[in-house]
Amino acid sequence: MEQPPESGSGRWSGLEFEAARKIILRWDSTASEEAREKMIFDGDRDEVNRYLQAVDEIQRSMSTASISSTAEDQESNNMVNNPATIQIAMARLEDEFRNILLIHTSPIEADSLTDPSSSSSRLSTDESLDESLSLGEGLDARVKQHQEDEEQQPEGISADSSSFSHSSYRSTSSIREIDLIPEEAINDLQCIAKRMISGGFLRECIQVYGSVRKSAVDASFRRLGIEKLSIGDIQRLEWDALETKIRRWIRAARICVRILFASEKKLCEQIFAGVGTAIDDACFMETIKAPAIQLFNFAEAISISRRSPEKLFKILDLHDALMDLLPDIEAVFDSKSSDSIRVQAAEILSRLAEAVRGILSEFENAVLREPSRVPVPGGTIHPLTRYVMNYISLISDYKQTLIELIMSKPSTGSRNSGDPTTPDMDFAELEEKTPLALHLIWIIVILQFNLDGKSKHYKDASISHLFMMNNVHYIVQKVKGSPELREMIGDDYLKKLTGKLRQAATSYQRATWVNVLHCLRDEGLHVSGSFSSGVSKSALRERFKTFNAMFEEVHRTQATWLVPDPQLREELRISISEKLIPAYRSFLGRFRSHIESGKHPENYIKYSVEDLEDAVLDFFEGYPVSQNLRRRSH
Amino acid sequence: MPLPANEYQGSFLGRISIRRNQVISMDGNHEQEMEDLELFQKHVADRFVDLVSPAEDTASAEPLLSIAWLRRLLDTFLCCESQFKALLIMGRDPSHVVKPPLDRLIPELLERSVKSLDICNAVCNGIESVRHCQKLAEIVVSALEQRPMGDGQVKRAKKALSALVLAMAADDKEGNHKTPERTWSFGRRVGNKDRGEGNFRSLSWAVAKNWSASKQIQAMTNNLVAPRGGEPTGLALPVYIMSAVMVFVMWALVAAIPCQERTGLATHFPVPRQLGWAQNMIGLQEKIGEEWKKKEKKGSAGLLEEMQRMEKLGQSLIDFTESFSFPGEAEKLEEVAMQVGELADICQKMEVGLMPLQQQIREVFHRVVRSRTEVLEILEHSGKVPSPIM
Repeated sequence: MEQPPESGSGRWSGLEFEAARKIILRWDSTASEEAREKMIFDGDRDEVNRYLQAVDEIQRSMSTASISSTAEDQESNNMVNNPATIQIAMARLEDEFRNILLIHTSPIEADSLTDPSSSSSRLSTDESLDESLSLGEGLDARVKQHQEDEEQQPEGISADSSSFSHSSYRSTSSIREIDLIPEEAINDLQCIAKRMISGGFLRECIQVYGSVRKSAVDASFRRLGIEKLSIGDIQRLEWDALETKIRRWIRAARICVRILFASEKKLCEQIFAGVGTAIDDACFMETIKAPAIQLFNFAEAISISRRSPEKLFKILDLHDALMDLLPDIEAVFDSKSSDSIRVQAAEILSRLAEAVRGILSEFENAVLREPSRVPVPGGTIHPLTRYVMNYISLISDYKQTLIELIMSKPSTGSRNSGDPTTPDMDFAELEEKTPLALHLIWIIVILQFNLDGKSKHYKDASISHLFMMNNVHYIVQKVKGSPELREMIGDDYLKKLTGKLRQAATSYQRATWVNVLHCLRDEGLHVSGSFSSGVSKSALRERFKTFNAMFEEVHRTQATWLVPDPQLREELRISISEKLIPAYRSFLGRFRSHIESGKHPENYIKYSVEDLEDAVLDFFEGYPVSQNLRRRSH
Repeated sequence: MPLPANEYQGSFLGRISIRRNQVISMDGNHEQEMEDLELFQKHVADRFVDLVSPAEDTASAEPLLSIAWLRRLLDTFLCCESQFKALLIMGRDPSHVVKPPLDRLIPELLERSVKSLDICNAVCNGIESVRHCQKLAEIVVSALEQRPMGDGQVKRAKKALSALVLAMAADDKEGNHKTPERTWSFGRRVGNKDRGEGNFRSLSWAVAKNWSASKQIQAMTNNLVAPRGGEPTGLALPVYIMSAVMVFVMWALVAAIPCQERTGLATHFPVPRQLGWAQNMIGLQEKIGEEWKKKEKKGSAGLLEEMQRMEKLGQSLIDFTESFSFPGEAEKLEEVAMQVGELADICQKMEVGLMPLQQQIREVFHRVVRSRTEVLEILEHSGKVPSPIM
């Protein structure tokens, strides 16, 4: 036995080396039962330290032995035994490493799984609204919500129509790393990793680490409800079901990126501290690359799904959520080897933006070509009008995002194309408007165009005009009721709409009342002749009879017509009365004596002025009335 | 010519080539159409000539189903696809896509596109398991490269080799593809319930549970019927050609790279032999099909040429490690050194080639998405009544 060398000498210490070797061999699990049953790091800390020191000793002797170059040394048993001993030590360390990891590997705790941004109150508004929307409601529910809101408002339009406010998914980002493994365990893992790496067993170390941690991440994914769905599956699912999944995904993705992945990264950095970033990066990638891709594949599948108008808002939500998450994604996946993940996230974002543009275009197309021909009974507001106006009100809620995404003007009809199936629109005078605003105006233009076509399916011209009046009025009210919408549409265009509205009202009046009032004109009643008082009694009787019949008909019909807006209804009635009542009063005044001096005056003068005034109140109520127009007290 | 700024940023309008900027009228230029068709077929045929390596070729040619060959295959797909799209879309009245026979064929093509996308994802995921094998092989190389070769290194190599061979032989049934990642040196320790789970590396596929690669391929070949020669085919033939190419490419990928549920992978495709452009493709199909049948009996991780070689080397080296005792015979050691060198070479090829292969598959993915979107847009705007919005 040789004496232990002085430090710095090139000769290994036989004594210390042998002792170390013994320890290593004692823990060779292929050799002893005891070694198989127990784990070093589960037991006595002194034993742990002894073992680690033993490993260090062997490694030290390996490196000093390689410096010495005597042929004798090369041939000696020890040159062979050292690698053998090291291999035994490394194999043992590998098992210990795996064991420690496994003991501390469990899926992320449920209470850690809170969305880091859920403390934001804006988000929870949206979430509580989301919660109250059961499966299958989707856009219809949002649209209904809007309608309910407006119905609950007092008459007239409230200035703040955002009782359903789209709470932005643009919350502030927050990465929150948690400790996945207790500190002592991390220290132990560090010790082992250091030695495995210096022993040349880096690869094994990465393999073990990756496999154990990856299964932990997989288990956490299951806890978070992250599904594995193929693109084919997603294309086949109903949109309602997908909306729920998207909501869930957004929540899960936030947790994954900000908590789960960030924490795994931190763990790698801790365990492999001081051995170079390439290694902790390799372990991190080994752990989360496949799960991360799996996570983003869902969003990718959504971004390439077929476009239809109902999808707009959820896709906007997804876009905003992902955009919000992007800085965190870039922070967590900041190495070269994770390029593909960052790139994929950016690609998905860009596809979602494209999808938004495409859907808007689809929507416009659908509005233009909406084909229903059945006239709405009573000439009231068409469901298309409600749908479109609620849709664009929601669009104005998402204005912040959409202004950035919508970059070009509407493509159809921007020139005088002469195409009869598309309205013309001159964008020249709207130069300073954002593309989004232009689209909204365009949508209103094509809505009216479509409605105009629908109005022609009524047999009666009067109700066509009433229909247009009602619908344009609704449009105007919706625009006025939303500050964002109004600001984008602009008062100039609003004036145009109001003008159209008045025009429709005027056309209605002309269509209905010209003929009726015609009965009350002076011409044709006076005849010259010596035997008459200057008025043709028979003509007069005809007039009265015609007037009565016409009015009764108009009354009967137009009572069943509907002007839903109370104010508009009132205004229209007043406008009718203003023309009708004075004309009738004056007619009566001038000519009743002629009738009353003849036979059966009650057949001709059926109605008093008050009767007519009352009757006008029946107009546009939307239900039939009794034909007894006379006041009961008469 | 200045491009109009419109909603369809980046769509086919952005790629109008100078030569093709005249709109060909509806009843139009039949001769031009025939010429285009001929050109397309020739183009496809030419691309496939490049893919077929002559039997006794030099080392410079890429072996069938190697990483490099697969990359060329994907290039072929991308080229054919651009030509096809040019044919389908440019210079033609868009409404032809809703007239027979395209009104039926185009939706079928779109269905196949979606399946291709899933296959691309599955194959990219599958490449990770190839990479896993590469890592294990690197351990083997690292261990057996050391001199002198002692018991320690050989033990280390043996451990890695067992894991490697198991990883490659494991079947790719759905769900968890469990393989003992690293064999424990000793039996399981009782008491800790978590140990059970972690004992195996569950190399679970990141694809949907019931997804089956072989079923996807099968579905893609449904309705893949060559248009009859006598019919006025118009665009039916190019659609068929493109579909056949798509199916072939996806099938070859699935055959080469491990992915979920490949049992029962079809080995035969209904492409009529008399089609000129298809000769080489059919030849490749047959070769690959043969190989697949052979392998399926033995059960293996796939036909990737590098994996096949790795498997052979792995088996041979395992035998060596099992019978080794220091210092070993010089002849045997030399042989092993050569094998280790070859294994190192394969690892190098994988190290260099797998990432670009994945990137290329992503490129194919993007291209298929883009074309699908463009075709869908055309369908929407071709005067069809849109789906009701209320």
